[in-house]
Amino acid sequence: MAQLTKRGLIAAVVCSDTFMRLGTAQAKVFGVPDLPLLKIQHPLGGLNMEKVRERASIALPQLIQLVKEKQA
Amino acid sequence: MTALDTLLKAPGVMHEVDDDPEAVYEFLCAKGWSDGLPVIPPTPERVERMLAYCDRDFDQPVVKIPPRFGAATPIRIAANAVMAGCKPEYFPLVLLALEAVAEGPYNLYGTQATTHPCTPMVIFNGPIAKEVGLNAGQNCMGNFFRANAAIGRAVRLALVNIGAAIPGVGDMATQGTPAKFSFCVAENEDASPWEPLHVELGLPQDATTVTVIAAEGPHNINDHESITAEGILTMIAGTMTITGSNNAYYDGQPCVAFGPEHAQTVAGGGFSKADVKKWLFEHATLPLSRFSKEGIERRFRRKLADQYADASLDALVRMFAKPEDLLVIVTGGAGKHSSYIPTFGNTRAVTRALRRADGELVRSVQELKRG
Repeated sequence: MAQLTKRGLIAAVVCSDTFMRLGTAQAKVFGVPDLPLLKIQHPLGGLNMEKVRERASIALPQLIQLVKEKQA
Repeated sequence: MTALDTLLKAPGVMHEVDDDPEAVYEFLCAKGWSDGLPVIPPTPERVERMLAYCDRDFDQPVVKIPPRFGAATPIRIAANAVMAGCKPEYFPLVLLALEAVAEGPYNLYGTQATTHPCTPMVIFNGPIAKEVGLNAGQNCMGNFFRANAAIGRAVRLALVNIGAAIPGVGDMATQGTPAKFSFCVAENEDASPWEPLHVELGLPQDATTVTVIAAEGPHNINDHESITAEGILTMIAGTMTITGSNNAYYDGQPCVAFGPEHAQTVAGGGFSKADVKKWLFEHATLPLSRFSKEGIERRFRRKLADQYADASLDALVRMFAKPEDLLVIVTGGAGKHSSYIPTFGNTRAVTRALRRADGELVRSVQELKRG
């Protein structure tokens, strides 16, 4: 994602709340401190499809908002 | 002023602290520059002494350590070696182990940040292991022996302090493992009935090598009853076959560390190392039915569909992909115990020989002494 961001594409990482500090730190390490992190509830592993859809429904509006902001 | 003095004057390198040991301990813990245990304060004098056996430029990164990708220069590594309690002659082995874990196949980035409880198991072979006093005998994976404790600890401290493998930020281990304090052994070559690991890998007997694997802590194999090779190997295979192991899903290289008495019995039954690996490859298996229904459906049927999409519940799941993937070493003292060391899975063992700057193998650590 860092590479895609550096190429000027709109990119983001879906990140569970527990992993936000890791995601933020790694974005800095890879030279894209403003890389958008789409925050969802932890965990992501071991979920049934209903719970996966719940998390997607949280991430999707963040993604749409990001795309709108970047294209504005 | 020495080159080291100049380096130490760089901004942010030096910190002034009361020289009371408790004050230093409090300071380092508050900074997150510790493993939670007291350390030796890395004063400039001690760091300089630690570098007495270093033939590299002190300020040139040897490796970069993820997830921060911090530049591991000899001076920074030496500070961690001081903190860990190393003698200066241990330093080349600390450096060697860090070079090994930084090689691509080891997957240091993944192993540092994962939720899995892995840490480098650092295995030394060759004459310098003995020269610096690494214990390969009784309680070799336990406490008490300075070289084992301090070298393994120095590696871990460097991974935390230089690489920022800080729990909750850069190290996301769910529970971790006590092996993260230190996990460093030497192979007991004198007590082994087989060729040592580095010779098996094609290196000269008098080379000193490190082999690193992204290991869980050791799982004990108690067998006081078996008196045949097949009997002992049956007990080992039973200990290796666990449903919750990453090695059931990935192509990692787990390790069987034979206690010398078990090794003698197995070798006495006519088994070479290659025979041991082949036997365990064939027998360290679990039927698919031993895994949970969800595990079968979600992991085996979908993620490993090429092997298990239509497999029967009697299909066998192996703990390593091919016989040569299993690492076999002999270490420890008297007694009827061996151990199995599972790994992160998405990792390969890396072996490196200790060499001088000119590429020649180092036969004694004294060859590296400056001046």
